[in-house]
Amino acid sequence: MATVAKPLPPRDEPRRPNIATAAVQLPAVRDFEQVDREIIRTLRPGLGWFIGLGVAVLALLLGISAWMYQIYSGLGVAGYNPPVMWGVYIITFVFWIGIGHAGTLISAILYLFRAGFRTTIYRCAEAMTVFAVMTAALFPILHLGRPWKFFWLIPYPNWRYIWPQFKSPLVWDVFAILTYFTISSTFLYIGLIPDIAVLRDRENISPIRKRIFTVLSLGWRNTDNEWRHFARAYLFLAAFSTPLVLSVHSVVSFDFAMALTPGWHTTIFPPYFVAGAIFSGMGMVFTIIIPLRKWFGLKHYVTINHLDAAAKLCLFTSLVVGCAYMSEWFVAWFSGNEAEQSFFANRIWGQWWWASSILYTCNMVLPLSLFVQRLRRSAAWLFIISFTINIGMWFERFVIVVPSLSHEFEPWQWTSYRPTWVDYSILIGSFGWFTMWFMLFIKQLPVIAIAEVKEIIPPKLRKQHEHGVDPAGRHFEFEPDTPGEYA
Amino acid sequence: MRGVLGAFRELDAAVEAIEALKEKRIGAIRVFTPTPRHELEEAIEAPPSPVRRFTLIGGLLGCTFGYWIAIWASDYWPLVVGGKPIASWVPYTIFGFEVMVLIGGLSTVAGLLINARVPRLTMMVGYDPRFSHGDYGVWVECPPEQVRAAEEILTQAGATEVRRER
Repeated sequence: MATVAKPLPPRDEPRRPNIATAAVQLPAVRDFEQVDREIIRTLRPGLGWFIGLGVAVLALLLGISAWMYQIYSGLGVAGYNPPVMWGVYIITFVFWIGIGHAGTLISAILYLFRAGFRTTIYRCAEAMTVFAVMTAALFPILHLGRPWKFFWLIPYPNWRYIWPQFKSPLVWDVFAILTYFTISSTFLYIGLIPDIAVLRDRENISPIRKRIFTVLSLGWRNTDNEWRHFARAYLFLAAFSTPLVLSVHSVVSFDFAMALTPGWHTTIFPPYFVAGAIFSGMGMVFTIIIPLRKWFGLKHYVTINHLDAAAKLCLFTSLVVGCAYMSEWFVAWFSGNEAEQSFFANRIWGQWWWASSILYTCNMVLPLSLFVQRLRRSAAWLFIISFTINIGMWFERFVIVVPSLSHEFEPWQWTSYRPTWVDYSILIGSFGWFTMWFMLFIKQLPVIAIAEVKEIIPPKLRKQHEHGVDPAGRHFEFEPDTPGEYA
Repeated sequence: MRGVLGAFRELDAAVEAIEALKEKRIGAIRVFTPTPRHELEEAIEAPPSPVRRFTLIGGLLGCTFGYWIAIWASDYWPLVVGGKPIASWVPYTIFGFEVMVLIGGLSTVAGLLINARVPRLTMMVGYDPRFSHGDYGVWVECPPEQVRAAEEILTQAGATEVRRER
């Protein structure tokens, strides 16, 4: 966590290049007071926020209504068509679990790699992870015929003397997701404690809010002793989260790869799922962070250099995912397995050509535009691309789940699948559930980590630096290459 | 608890005050800082945090429990799947790993709370809300005969405010 105040280069040295690096800076942020003032300012709710929250709640109510109808009528009202007994719910479960992965990548893995550009975007990404896992965890329950029995998957002493089958990937999922949710939310909360202390200590705060923040901050006092243990605990939590992010989606991929179904039974699935998860999560990070930085006036915190660096990561994961798609095709051809070849032909040129086309266009072709620096540095283009990535990654899971089940070994098993209004309503409801939590979060707690931003702002010094730099130690400014943006 | 608090606007002034206080061997020093800084850590010369031991012990216990629950439950309700052993270590590594992360992570948090002495519902002597915003605070807990010397050192180092507290 801790940083050292390094002397900045003198004014006559060449200015830093106008490109994104791992160590991006914040030249337009002058001091700690400005950080507190500008980030705390974002907590005041406006009309737009109430409208957004209202829309999210309406979408959620639609999903709840559809679920109630499904519980009353039975799973038959969803679009299941035997043997396609996994549909929108499992697709959306994998989609939301995947969304969460970029949050952990940004907050934990990039923290271990000391990638500075994570500092101003990781809080949003971490919150996104927690809410995405909360959303994903609903779907296996929605998919159950008797959802009130979901806790039977958890091993606990019971009067039936029955224990879960520990060789089943579904039980692996329960452990993986519960661990992921617990560690992600703990990581988010621990990082929030010093920031909640800032909220607690500000002036003109209502007594009720002050009391709530006092309890939530656990009486944090910013002592050297607290920071020393905090930094160590944060490092270890990041170290635990790093293999966890790789394991969770690997375990989710085992739900498929352990079956003998064509298209599923392949050893490439764990890395393929992990890369896809990070890619989809990066898309969602852009979808969230780009409007937020505009609405909250935080363009000088999440600068165009931050977006550029994150876009490079997004491009890299897109290339990995594209490589995995091509490996799948190659393995199907090279294996000489007729069922596998027939399935892939049906997936790409047959019945599901339209879904595959959406997937390949959105995940492989369009992200290639991020090779162009000008497009990487355009917030508008990144926002558009983020939408196509979200769509493409949902269809990736559709193409994994449905074509395999609808085109198994025997021709008499071949069938089709069409989601019903119940599936669509619950899908929309899941977005409402996620958005509702996120909207509530952004007005109660800071969307940018106050304490960590202060670490990258050069501290006030009484003495001159050796190179004769201004004691205020501001980062150098330069002309941004994108009008209206900070770099 | 009696002592002197110095509030500083500048980081190097706070570091200088800590070094001078240590040199004169005056009292026990506690620093308040809005964000962790290596300069302060080096000046204080604090020992490494013992949180790592909590992490290690929690991780080992979690890993053991993860393997144990899977093996014990399989043995209790023996069911052969795919001709594989009742207790099959390959899939059970998933439980060993996941529970290791879960218990190890929660033990880390317990280590943080225990060592940092939180949660605490009352603010400690010397704390001031400005230390969570932008200022640095140096609190020196010392006997009455050293209070004067501590005040002088803090003032000379450039404290914007020096006050006695108890």
